[in-house]
Amino acid sequence: MTAHAAHRMWIRVLPALLALAATGCTFADEEPAVHVGADAAVPTAGPDAASADVQVTVSDVRSSIEPGTLPTVAALPVHGRRGPDGLPFEVAQRTRDAGAAPARKFGARTLTIGMRTRAPDLTQYPCTACHNRAAVVRDADRPADAHRDIPTVHPSAAGGGCRTCHARADVGMLGLQDGDRVTMDHAYRLCAQCHFRQVDEWAAGGHGKRLDGWQGRRVVMGCTDCHDPHAPALQPRVPFRAPSLEPAGRNR
Amino acid sequence: MSTERELQFEDLLRNVAAQEMPPDRRVDRRTALRVLFGGLAAGTQAAAACSPLSAATEEERERKQLEWRELIKRHYRLMTDEERADTIERLERLAKLRTGVDVTIQTTPAQPGVQFGYAFNISRCKGFRSCVEACINENNLDRASDTQYIRIFEMEDGVMDLDHADATFQHDVPAEGHFYLGTQCFQCANPPCVKVCPVGATWQEPDGITVVDYDWCIGCRYCMAACPYWARRFNWRAPEVPTEEVNPNQHYLGNRARKKGVVEKCTFCVHRTREGRLPACAEACPTGARVFGNLLDPDSEIRWVLANKRVFRLKEDLQTEPRFWYFSD
Amino acid sequence: MHLTAFARSALDSATSGGRRYHLWMGGLTLVMLFGAYAWSVQLREGLGVTGMTDHVSWGLYISNFTFLVGLAAAAMMLVLPAYILHDVDFGRAVLLAEAVAVAALLMCLSFVIVDVGNPLGTWHLLPIIGTLNFPSSLLAWDVIVLNGYLAINLAIPFYILYSRFTGRSPAKQKYLPWMYIAVMWAVSIHMVTAFLLAGLPARPYWNTALLGPRFLASAFTAGPAFMILMLWLIRRETEFPIEDAVFAKLALITTVAAQVNLVMLVSEIFYKFYWPTHHGINARYLFFGIDGHRSLVPWVWSAVLLNVAATAVLAIHPLRRNPRWLMIACAVLFVSIWVEKGLGLVIPGFIPSPLGEIVEYSPTWVEIAVTAGIWAFGLFALTVLVRVALPIEMGHARSTELEEPPVRAVVRPLAGRLSVQELTRTRAVRTPRRDGPPVRIR
Repeated sequence: MTAHAAHRMWIRVLPALLALAATGCTFADEEPAVHVGADAAVPTAGPDAASADVQVTVSDVRSSIEPGTLPTVAALPVHGRRGPDGLPFEVAQRTRDAGAAPARKFGARTLTIGMRTRAPDLTQYPCTACHNRAAVVRDADRPADAHRDIPTVHPSAAGGGCRTCHARADVGMLGLQDGDRVTMDHAYRLCAQCHFRQVDEWAAGGHGKRLDGWQGRRVVMGCTDCHDPHAPALQPRVPFRAPSLEPAGRNR
Repeated sequence: MSTERELQFEDLLRNVAAQEMPPDRRVDRRTALRVLFGGLAAGTQAAAACSPLSAATEEERERKQLEWRELIKRHYRLMTDEERADTIERLERLAKLRTGVDVTIQTTPAQPGVQFGYAFNISRCKGFRSCVEACINENNLDRASDTQYIRIFEMEDGVMDLDHADATFQHDVPAEGHFYLGTQCFQCANPPCVKVCPVGATWQEPDGITVVDYDWCIGCRYCMAACPYWARRFNWRAPEVPTEEVNPNQHYLGNRARKKGVVEKCTFCVHRTREGRLPACAEACPTGARVFGNLLDPDSEIRWVLANKRVFRLKEDLQTEPRFWYFSD
Repeated sequence: MHLTAFARSALDSATSGGRRYHLWMGGLTLVMLFGAYAWSVQLREGLGVTGMTDHVSWGLYISNFTFLVGLAAAAMMLVLPAYILHDVDFGRAVLLAEAVAVAALLMCLSFVIVDVGNPLGTWHLLPIIGTLNFPSSLLAWDVIVLNGYLAINLAIPFYILYSRFTGRSPAKQKYLPWMYIAVMWAVSIHMVTAFLLAGLPARPYWNTALLGPRFLASAFTAGPAFMILMLWLIRRETEFPIEDAVFAKLALITTVAAQVNLVMLVSEIFYKFYWPTHHGINARYLFFGIDGHRSLVPWVWSAVLLNVAATAVLAIHPLRRNPRWLMIACAVLFVSIWVEKGLGLVIPGFIPSPLGEIVEYSPTWVEIAVTAGIWAFGLFALTVLVRVALPIEMGHARSTELEEPPVRAVVRPLAGRLSVQELTRTRAVRTPRRDGPPVRIR
């Protein structure tokens, strides 16, 4: 298997691992509820899930995500907040596929929301492939390009390192300062440790993106759906076409 | 939630209620007009059918008849349920005959106890214009003249003046030293456009959305002159939407096919929002700068923003009471 | 029956005349036909063939509309002294003034019809089957007052002419109350049209209390100026007698109104420019241009300069009393007010847009052709009305049903051209006695 092929395979098994993280992992003493839409492919979670061939194609997911079919997890309390007036809400899971950033149907056309998808970047996933012991692999065994693609903007700006956020014993999880561990889906709990204002607003509806309609089920996107945790600022990009003020363009 | 704020919502409701026609008047009109229109309809249909100019093919003849019948139908608000069903049937059939697309035109009414409100986070918007793209596709906006309901203004930091803003930017965004402010129809609770329309072809629905009956509009464009937010667009020519891009999920008061010579406007995606979905712009926004919800629901996100953020509205001094607020982080 | 005789006589009057008359009417017909063709293009393609855009959503059509409403209203400036103040000087000119009002109103309504995007839907304005948004919409008011004014101005002259035609003298108690109404109505059509624009907080350029009075002042300038030109032409071309005093009085009205109009213009300019705010940005665009957008600047400055010059000429008594100077000043005033109130009032209201975007406007050939066609239509209608009215007024045309056979007469143009001075000097000789037999020249 070439290096490239290996790379592709990791991308394909990523959703399975995410599902595993969401369902299989227990932490603290809570069992996060998982709501998965009917059309989402959920592989059975198990120790060998990493090798499962996940039949999710880009076109499947792109075709349309109708309201009520988003894969979500229930949001856990952040500083006691559960959203406006204590109402529960859900967090949309991080995208399962490179091309599957929430694609929503507008009329006959499907629009891919320009949300950051991190999956293609995670070339060393799962972490346990290397970080399989309490200690990190020795320098001599470390692949040459390990983590070279991970920008360190946020860690260096915040004066932290990998373990400020990644759990020491199980790097597939995130470690909170109080010793709790959370899955990647609940990264907002980690972010909330410093960015408490933003997370408060996010939980209440003033920050971040709401999906799935204004009525009924409240589904919001998580922090890392938009912000790369290693370089959180959104990158500039070319906007959709500008309006024309030329009357000639309109009328003649 | 402050008392003033609550009072304001009550005012919104009362305004809408005041605009509803008294039921007795409606009934009188209906009975009086039905006879007249029935006669007219029969007459024109007969005329269209017998006309030597009528087209050769069966389909064209049918189309002509339907078009004639559409010309003399009544104001949407004065129609009986049967009349509404008839016109929907005709319009769907006409869409099929004209473009070959099977469209569904709803007449979903406003949900009781709902007043839509919108908040726009000027510190979140990055000027990507994803909302503009989604709006064009969702609302079947004219591609030929590139009609856009939404304007995103690039504003210089420290200046809150649209005269110095630029909506035609086409460079990588966000640009250094700038913020972005989007405008669209603000669905004013005290809409000048509704007040000035000479034929009442535009009105405020109970959920606060100002809509246009495209078949009743005479195209005088007085509403466009009256709107302080430049929210209305005119069909200077017959609008064009590529057949494969037509959004078949339509509403009579929303994104159905418009004809040339009439005014149209943003309806907060009335065909989506009345079913509990978000407007296309809010759903497409990648930054979460757009907050949409029910003003009458104290637990809604929009109410949280109004209660917890410093908000402002454009040209509040004009007393138009927009249902569209701006806020920042 | 008298009515068919009236119609026959009217048709006769309107269709017979000299070579120049037929050339004039033929020329107007050609322009009307071309305008009709341009309108057909606009109907087929949509208003996209005009220069109007979502930014400048009203253009040449509505500009002409607002101007012509003023012309229609100004006709009442002659009716007021003649019928209500019993200033007999104007007696003869009144019917002509009402003809001007009718022609101007026909043009107004035509401009509205060509401006609407969905003319087939205009029945929605009708009572009972339509839903006229009255009293909320000022446009609904305008529909009512314009049509009402048209009806009054058709009915009163028709009654007077028809009475004379059938050999009766018109009963004052029958038409005088309507005259009173018509005078008030004339002010109302103008104020309503001004309010139509002034009532829009979205457009600070129009949203000023001075707009209504300014409309009146400019109307009472342009209207009498037009009347002077027309009466002068009628006096030159026909045997219809118009006293010098009529000209003198009209010239005085024009002069005063032009001065008041200038005062209002100055106060408007002061208000917009002494401390420039957002509310003055449209005026800034109009007078100085913004960021290189200055397509109206030459127009408005020419108009202002011409307006000031003409007003100055009128203000100097010897010049005003000189018919040649008077005619030139009136023509210049008429044109300058057309620019100032047409182009300079409606279009800058849209530039920049309420959101500060600047999209300029320039009319297309379709718009210009349709506009020219409507002006030709108005002049055509005016000529016909004058042609019908004059013989009856002069007692030439009388119903064939009357016992005394009518003097079949057609107003013919003078063969030779008389100078203005000559006309003024010889006028007294040519004044016919009303009760005597009609005096006919050639």
